[in-house]
Amino acid sequence: MTPRVRRRRSRKRLRFLIPLAAVCLVAGAATRQAEYEWDIPAPFPRPPVPPDNPMSAVKVELGRRLFYDNRMSVTGQRSCASCHQQQYAFTDGKARAEGATGQLHPRSSMSLANVAYLPALTWANPTVTSLEEQALVPMLGTDPVELGLKGREAQFLAQLRNDTLYQRLFRRAFPESSDPYTLGDVTRAIAAFERTIISVRSPYDRYRFEGDTDAISPSAKRGERIFFSGQRGSCFQCHGGWNFSGAVRYAGDTSAHASFFNTGLYNVAGDYSYPSPNTGVYEITHKRDDIGKFRPPTLRNVAVTGPYMHDGSIATLGDVLDHYAAGGRTIASGPFAGVGHDNPNKAPNVHGFAMTPAERLDMIAFLTSLTDTAFLHNPALSNPWKSR
Amino acid sequence: MRVTSSVSRLVGAIGLSLVAAVASVAPLRAQQATPSISVSGAVTQPLTLTATDLGAMPRASVTTNSNGIATTYEGVWLADVLKKAGVPFGAGMRGPALATYVIASASDGYQVVFSLGELDPDMTDGQYLLADKADGKPLFGENGSFRLVIPKDKRGARSIRMLTSLTVVQTRK
Repeated sequence: MTPRVRRRRSRKRLRFLIPLAAVCLVAGAATRQAEYEWDIPAPFPRPPVPPDNPMSAVKVELGRRLFYDNRMSVTGQRSCASCHQQQYAFTDGKARAEGATGQLHPRSSMSLANVAYLPALTWANPTVTSLEEQALVPMLGTDPVELGLKGREAQFLAQLRNDTLYQRLFRRAFPESSDPYTLGDVTRAIAAFERTIISVRSPYDRYRFEGDTDAISPSAKRGERIFFSGQRGSCFQCHGGWNFSGAVRYAGDTSAHASFFNTGLYNVAGDYSYPSPNTGVYEITHKRDDIGKFRPPTLRNVAVTGPYMHDGSIATLGDVLDHYAAGGRTIASGPFAGVGHDNPNKAPNVHGFAMTPAERLDMIAFLTSLTDTAFLHNPALSNPWKSR
Repeated sequence: MRVTSSVSRLVGAIGLSLVAAVASVAPLRAQQATPSISVSGAVTQPLTLTATDLGAMPRASVTTNSNGIATTYEGVWLADVLKKAGVPFGAGMRGPALATYVIASASDGYQVVFSLGELDPDMTDGQYLLADKADGKPLFGENGSFRLVIPKDKRGARSIRMLTSLTVVQTRK
């Protein structure tokens, strides 16, 4: 056989092999996604997964390593987990998040519990809906600096490329990629891990969904009724649904859109009723109706996610309840003085309600029944570097 | 009769529908009494119905989907309850009956009004279930013992929870 014939034959073979390989890749990706074992009890749905980032156990493990890796920051001392700590339901226990260089974020760190189901991810930006894209903000953002990797991307990726553990994980997580050490694959892996940060095993879940009538206290049961009363708390009107965050997206239905509400937290003098720079959705849309509108965060694990509100300006759950019972917060003096109750954009649901001291305790008991201790101590979500 | 209706986007049927309760001030006596619903006002046969009474009536069910969680509510069509109280549906739905409404009230004071005509199955395709069970278990907690489930509504605000009374009001004689 002449070399030319051999080449022709091998080309012919290649023509068959390429489509075959493509089929195998697609089938392989589908199989990996199908094989990923979600740890979600009935009756809760699975979260949606984008088709271009199928789940796999090794990708989740890679994402978990990256999430907890201090090399993710300019100083080598901070990671995603610095502001999203498991013990605080993936918040940080601070009023406002602090970046790698010490710069304070204008807003409070948000819980990542059930983040995969959210139709919008941040406090007040309806356009941030992809976990993969959102991860780039803390990595590369400069105002404020969070992890501070802007300008150091190549060095960071080189660190990953030279790490033997990451070499193994990246190759297995992205077998179809010839060079997986890219920011895109880093964020895909982090997003895959974030999709596993699921909290649905609180005492309230046992009470509501598993028939354990004694899983929550009589006080919590009384608080539940106030929470869900349209005449009284009306809390569910913003913090509705099983995630206590409003409508969610899930596998099979990703049509839900996020809602944002002005709760009468401020009513300062001047052009904007909320203190700059936290003017809410207005920052994105520049519509005056959107001033002061923020996304209702999940109330799951809320007892461990204080301080509260978008700017951490309320220290305790009891004080949050006082704010809502009053139909808005009044600040008597200082630069933020104003009667939040009278904020022109305030949501009608924040109508205020009578609340006795005993009922206040009942509502706190109910909210505390949403604390999922199995989630807060789930080893699959913990820092993998500690055991190294 | 068993009718199942799947409603994919009834975001409120569980979490967002309006509810009730003043449980913290509810006297112990009330908690111990058998829960019931009163049907009163412009009816020929005022009723007080318990879950046992509803259990003896023709049963119906609807399935809702709230944020990916399906719930099958069981109970009695509201029209059957009102018929039992003597409300004129079908051929009788004319004249004054068309100017009659029903106030559904919850134990926290929340109220929803329905026109009698919209509740008549001979008049509309609406589904109005007076539910006493969800997924085979008696309603409890924030649902109260009884609630309405209206799967064809786009919002859950009329699917009143903690339902305690139905009052029929005739605006014309």
